[in-house]
Amino acid sequence: MKRLQSIMCAPLILGSILLGLSGCFSKAVQSGGEGQSAQQGAAKGSNEGGVSQNIPDTSFFGQNGSDGLRGLDKNPSEERLGGNTLTAKADPGSASRQMEELRAEQLASEAAGLRDVLFAYDSFAISEEGRQVLARNAEWIKSNSGAHVTVEGHCDERGTLAYNLVLGEKRAKSVRNYLVELGVSPKQLLVVSYGKERPVCAEHTESCYAQNRRGHMVVKAGK
Amino acid sequence: MTFRIVVFISLCLSVGLAWIIESGATDVFLEAARPDFQKIPLGVAGIDNSGGAESPEGRIRLGSRIEEVLKADVRRSLVFSLVDLPSIGIKVGHLGAVPDPEFKKAAEQGVSVIVWGKAGMTNDAKDPDVNMDGYVYDAGSDEMVGGKRYAGGTSVVRLMAHRFADELVFRYTGEPGIARTKIAYVSEQGSARELFVMDYDGYDSRQLTADGFLNLMPKWSPDRRFIVFTAYRNRNTQNIDMIELATGKRWTLVSLSGLNITPALSPDGNFLAFASSHEGNSDLYSLDTRTKAMQRLTVHAGGDLSPSWSPSGRELVFTSDRSGGPQIFLMSMDGTNVRRLTFEGNYNAAPAWSPRGNWIAYVCRSPKKEYKICLITPDGQKRVQLTSGPGVDDAPSWSPDGRHLVFSSTAGGKSQIYMINADGKDLEQITFTGTHNSAPTWSPAS
Repeated sequence: MKRLQSIMCAPLILGSILLGLSGCFSKAVQSGGEGQSAQQGAAKGSNEGGVSQNIPDTSFFGQNGSDGLRGLDKNPSEERLGGNTLTAKADPGSASRQMEELRAEQLASEAAGLRDVLFAYDSFAISEEGRQVLARNAEWIKSNSGAHVTVEGHCDERGTLAYNLVLGEKRAKSVRNYLVELGVSPKQLLVVSYGKERPVCAEHTESCYAQNRRGHMVVKAGK
Repeated sequence: MTFRIVVFISLCLSVGLAWIIESGATDVFLEAARPDFQKIPLGVAGIDNSGGAESPEGRIRLGSRIEEVLKADVRRSLVFSLVDLPSIGIKVGHLGAVPDPEFKKAAEQGVSVIVWGKAGMTNDAKDPDVNMDGYVYDAGSDEMVGGKRYAGGTSVVRLMAHRFADELVFRYTGEPGIARTKIAYVSEQGSARELFVMDYDGYDSRQLTADGFLNLMPKWSPDRRFIVFTAYRNRNTQNIDMIELATGKRWTLVSLSGLNITPALSPDGNFLAFASSHEGNSDLYSLDTRTKAMQRLTVHAGGDLSPSWSPSGRELVFTSDRSGGPQIFLMSMDGTNVRRLTFEGNYNAAPAWSPRGNWIAYVCRSPKKEYKICLITPDGQKRVQLTSGPGVDDAPSWSPDGRHLVFSSTAGGKSQIYMINADGKDLEQITFTGTHNSAPTWSPAS
């Protein structure tokens, strides 16, 4: 209960933060509805984007649809049941575009000779070996000032999906920060976390786990 | 580890005895604690085949298929105990709406409810119409107390059984039952992870997205119309998207820079809690879906994520690594009154607040470094490890009746989805195909 009082000022702090944030809203306007098309050109890792101003009504008043139960009846009338209306909206264009981009990036990254930084279990600290790898990677990035590099943070399969996304981001940011320390322009670097969702090795072994706990750098294709 | 706490007294809820118990600052909806509660003995006296279908074989399969689904639903309801009528000398197979004299014999042996019925199919070979009649005999009044008559295409055969099972649960508990609920999950498709929805028993799986990259961590809207999730739409940004199940229509709700993950709509549907790292490290935010106002809930150098709402919508439970490794914390929905809930072990994450309020499920790391499902009460007084053995368990999600959990586990090698009772019994694998199924999330009831 004492803790409660000590936090009484928190709403004030939050309120002021909210005011500060309100600036984001105006630039966050997106046409919702056909959200797909609105998003195609959206923020490529820049600080653009924000919160949609077009959100369908999700309020819930204790009713959910017309498929509620109607109760048993001694003389039941016929209830006609409709089939499952769920529809997958496949976007094969998007899928093949993603694959093409991935391939192009992989080729560009291999050509650049960028190597992975490996991390210890539960850790996002860069090892001495990692520093040496990054020193070499930094040289390439600095001498290719037009290149944009995405630093991907990855984790092994242990732990939860959600927390590994946060851990992966910490790893990616460790790598980014060290590269910047080495003189790489932050403008050339983009950070993304894939958590444990894109492992390079699928076995449930220590050696596989070690390969998957990595900071992976890819050269962005195109732009 | 013995676990004797969870006794569900749905009957009491049905007559309005739902107590709201204030426990510290958390609100808990407790079902009445009657340790002597017995499940209601229920027998299925057969779903027989009425005329119509072209091949007798097809007809036999129809009736027994419905009966099989119905029995599995009755068993999973945890409201009834399924009695095998032939094993106590009761003949099964009754076509009419009138209770058989056999039923009284069953009642004398302690069977409280007997259900029976018939199912048929029209002769239309291309698009046959299926119909099913179901009846309920109650031993207390020694009569047929009600029935149902369903019709539809062949795609709704399982649904007929599910609806009938839910009607039974509703009649005897006042609660809607879980047989018509669904589970959304993520399934690996090539190198991509896409959203799928299946029936709660693992059947009738449907693909929802086909983006070709990563879609993660789905959560239902309280009205079951939408699913919110994290989408890597252009691979470099993780947005929070929403998809409408009936139409496949999609909206991007949050596209701040950095991580935008673990969305969760409040029980009234008016707030979207989520984690975003756009102001540095991962913090929690709340978006008012009506005013579009965003409020920052946590301001901390540690990573905060995975918010899950209390049933009242007044509180959130979440993961934070502010004290080192990830631990479970609680706070009010405005970000005040933050307190740590878990102290055992140095890795506790992915909390899910039970719809009944009395438990929070989460992933705990055991001393053997195994990631398992644990339960803890919101006051931190009781803690139970629910699963054990090898494999990484993840993403626990409650059934709307609070009696079951789904979660993913690599216990069998590949990540698959499992169901377990909240008392740790009846572990059941519900996905078997595919290379990687994860992040199951149970729909609300309807």
